[in-house]
Amino acid sequence: MSRITVIGDPDFNIGFRLVGIRDTIDVEDESKLPEIVEGLLGKEGIVVIKYDFYKKLPIHTKIKVEESLEPTFVKVGGEAGVGELREKIRRAIGVDLWK
Amino acid sequence: MAEIKPTRMELIKLKRRIKMATRGHALLKMKRDGLIMEFREILEEAKEVIGGMVDKYNRANERITLAKAVDGVIAVRSVAISCQYEPKFTIRRKNIMGVVVPVVKREKIRRKVSEREYGVVATTARIDEAVSAYEELVDATLEVAEIETTVKRLIEEIDRTKRRVNALEYRVIPSMQEAAKYITFKLEEQDRENIIRLKKIKSKMAAKEAEKRAREEAAAAAA
Repeated sequence: MSRITVIGDPDFNIGFRLVGIRDTIDVEDESKLPEIVEGLLGKEGIVVIKYDFYKKLPIHTKIKVEESLEPTFVKVGGEAGVGELREKIRRAIGVDLWK
Repeated sequence: MAEIKPTRMELIKLKRRIKMATRGHALLKMKRDGLIMEFREILEEAKEVIGGMVDKYNRANERITLAKAVDGVIAVRSVAISCQYEPKFTIRRKNIMGVVVPVVKREKIRRKVSEREYGVVATTARIDEAVSAYEELVDATLEVAEIETTVKRLIEEIDRTKRRVNALEYRVIPSMQEAAKYITFKLEEQDRENIIRLKKIKSKMAAKEAEKRAREEAAAAAA
């Protein structure tokens, strides 16, 4: 059975704790964010990360997050990474199919 | 072109490589088209699922903010502490034309109010609604995890295949064809040179023969 890990601020995480998710990481100091995210790479399951935190990650960590299949990262909150996905599609196919 | 040896063996090898590259190019083009078809099918679903998750997050956020404002943060936290039943799901892997994508099999995410660990009497409907909204959000998140990763993987593979197709079409095959043309031209030139050389030798030999015969005839006439 796989598990969900949530990375966010305490206000973001409390909702997920209501559903019974135990692995929540309260990020108090944003400078430790890359370290926390990289520490989760290679683990099983799904990692839910607050979109505002994802945006603050350094580019090399973002690339690792995007390429990671185990665990699979999901951005929640805000526009949830639709902009990046749309840009990727535009670059690969040549037209914006997300319209 | 200086590094190419203009030999027949090299030309045969090059022609074989051109044939293989052309076949590879056709296969990669088919793979690219297949991936794009697969991608277009999944894209509509991805738009719907991701859009749905964004809406569900906004709704869940509203519900929990309301619950925190009316019932207090401590009440919400105490319910959060009592909830121990984690959402159950398994992740398998699926292969779409060589692209490995995750498949999330969700088991039981949404539960009835009576199945939850906290007491119904001591809590309010606002907290119940917040829990339900978050259950829906987690369910949507798991769906997004599968679809978004699939979309991303397919895009990456399409991009990679497109680059390979273009490299073969505009760089590798034309340069090999150019090299084959150069070798053919060189070999033809060598053939022409050989024919001219042979003709020259033949004419020299004929001239020598004629001179020799003339000398012999002159000697016979003198005798």
